[in-house]
Amino acid sequence: MTELEARRAETLVPARGATTVWARYRDVLIALIAFAVLASLPLFTGSKALLDFVIRCSAYGLFATSLNLLVGYTGLTSFGHGMFFGLGAYSFGLIMQKLGVPIPIAFVATLAITGVVAAIIGAICVRLKEIYFAFVTLAFQMLIHSTILSWASFTGGDQGLRGGIPRPVFLGVDLSNHVHLYVASCALLILGLLAMRQIAQSPFGYTLRMIRDNAGRASFLGIDVWRAKLTVFVLAALFASMGGMVMALFVSGAYPEFAYWTISGEGIFINMLGGVSTFLGPMVGTVLLLLLNDTVTRFTEYHGIVLGIVILFFALGLRKGLLDFVAEWFAHRREAGEGR
Amino acid sequence: MTRTRRPGISRRSTLALMGAGAMTVAAPWVARAQAKTIKIGMPTILSGRVAQLGTSSRNAVMLEVEKVNAAGGLAGRQIEMVIRDSKGQPQEAARVARELVNTDGCELLIDAEASSGAFAVHEVARDLGVFCIHTNSETSALTADPKQHIPNAFRTARQGVHDSIVGGSYAAAIAKAKGLKKWATCSPDYAYGRDTTAEFTLYLKRFAPDVEIISESWPKLFQPDYTEVVTKILQAKPQALYSCLWGGDLTSYIDQANIYAMFGQMEVFAVNMADYTALTVVKNLPKGIHSGNRYIKTFPATPENAAWGDAYKAKYNEYPTNWSWENATAVMLMAEAAKKANAADGKKLAEALAGLTIKCPFGADGTVTMRAEDHTLVGYAIGWGTTIPQEPYVPEVKAGDWKTIFELEAEWKKSKGYT
Repeated sequence: MTELEARRAETLVPARGATTVWARYRDVLIALIAFAVLASLPLFTGSKALLDFVIRCSAYGLFATSLNLLVGYTGLTSFGHGMFFGLGAYSFGLIMQKLGVPIPIAFVATLAITGVVAAIIGAICVRLKEIYFAFVTLAFQMLIHSTILSWASFTGGDQGLRGGIPRPVFLGVDLSNHVHLYVASCALLILGLLAMRQIAQSPFGYTLRMIRDNAGRASFLGIDVWRAKLTVFVLAALFASMGGMVMALFVSGAYPEFAYWTISGEGIFINMLGGVSTFLGPMVGTVLLLLLNDTVTRFTEYHGIVLGIVILFFALGLRKGLLDFVAEWFAHRREAGEGR
Repeated sequence: MTRTRRPGISRRSTLALMGAGAMTVAAPWVARAQAKTIKIGMPTILSGRVAQLGTSSRNAVMLEVEKVNAAGGLAGRQIEMVIRDSKGQPQEAARVARELVNTDGCELLIDAEASSGAFAVHEVARDLGVFCIHTNSETSALTADPKQHIPNAFRTARQGVHDSIVGGSYAAAIAKAKGLKKWATCSPDYAYGRDTTAEFTLYLKRFAPDVEIISESWPKLFQPDYTEVVTKILQAKPQALYSCLWGGDLTSYIDQANIYAMFGQMEVFAVNMADYTALTVVKNLPKGIHSGNRYIKTFPATPENAAWGDAYKAKYNEYPTNWSWENATAVMLMAEAAKKANAADGKKLAEALAGLTIKCPFGADGTVTMRAEDHTLVGYAIGWGTTIPQEPYVPEVKAGDWKTIFELEAEWKKSKGYT
């Protein structure tokens, strides 16, 4: 996967002048078009289920893509990323229930809380490598999950945040209206993806790739590896938290399951499905997983078997995520064409 | 120029594939049958650790729906059940519930979810305004808390607070008669375990003021090994033990405590013992464990109840569970409400259902009532008895007194700030 990106970098480097401007704004343009398409969807279809589907894709998509910043770009396989998803949902829900502040303030406050918590947890975790990193993040996740369960007077314990999350109107946006919630989720998804894309394509993003490929060399080049890892850990947590907030708005509550390890597991699974070497891989994985989940559970309660077979197919058959596979296939084709 | 045709997938077949894919994806969203049948959606737990209970809910509902359909359906409309697995995850329960209403065209919901899932579905019912009966959540706050109250949602499950009042008064009577003053508790460490134990001891002390709790154990939910808990209790030497462990946890606890001959050394009150899922699984069921009734075909000791339990067993080759009667009651109430309203429309059904009393095999006096003020089931059979190792397992059940339950429940609601 590194070769693939290196090749892409090569094609970008010589392009100067007018093409750089185009390259810089290309992502923004794509994002704008994507948002326009998604936002106009309710004009063409009255299907609430489709809108629900996209809202859930936004929540999981933000979460999975942020996890890919760690897994794919930095080589930090976090097994506890779900804690920030849960933290986002709970912080947002609790702030709205207890303080009744306008939604944007709760949104920013939640990001601030997540940022602080992620900085503390990250400071401890990113010193570790590989399996140790994975397990310590998992331990922190279980710590947060247990805290939610035991602190029942504040969090509602295993029953979750009850009574619904109030959604007062702000700036003409009424999130208790299904279409408004849908458009807001799409906006958050697109903004989040765009921001993460900028991070991934920035010099900082390439620093992360270098750390992933050879942390020792990065260190010799004068990069503070610990700081870079901590920064991306906190950034990824913020986007996961955004995903959690979208989910909290969708179900109008927050439940301990949001902070359980299974959510992190789903994130990893999504990344495996979609692929980690392309930016949109996790997004493709999200759509695939949710489609699979929604269609398979309609027909059988033995969905575990079906999903397991799909995982096996991807892990043993394709040996990579779907988008990785497609990207390589195209690269292969191009090579074959050029070879002629 | 030579590149007109490459091996691999052609553009045409790609388009065809995409088209087929789009059709598959869109088909469920397009389908919206609005025939004469009425669809009732039911999210429940059909996979994972409590799948057995979810399956028993589905069985009971299907048993009753067949009867209703044979008798002409809900106000003349045949019922079609759409039952989906939520995996016990609240976000899935919410999604499935929304999908059932928005996509599958279900006009009514039977929410057979436990704990947090029920609250998630409750929010969906609030959001969509769809008629909904919660059948499995025993958390009292679901209906007692006025913040939760919505006109279109009901509950046909037993309740934590009812169980505690009856259990507390039953245990207190025995404590006084046998002079049991030193008590220990052992319950799972999560909200249900903590709340139920606190409420039980509250009422136990109220009826028997000289009782004291000398030891508390809080094993984790789904804990495999109870040795430390058992030895801790044995060392404390209590005269009686209360536990609200349930299902597999309770059966492994009993099997392990049997090794230490614990049940000969103290009186044991295990509220969730008298359920066939526990009674039939324990290897050596000790004689004389006190338990609340969950579902048992001998209580209430009426031919109707016995017939219902036998019919269920004949059809599914196993006995019903606590969740079975709760779900069956939901269908019975819906059928009666539809008769009364002469409509199957959710709004009219809700109006007819509030305050409705029906004949029911699970009623303490042969009837159950959907209380109008808080939309929850009252008058169901509730009592305590002691176990024997073979059928009928709990030969005699002492019925709880609903008058006392109502009085103390009102007091409890006031203390919680609900009224």
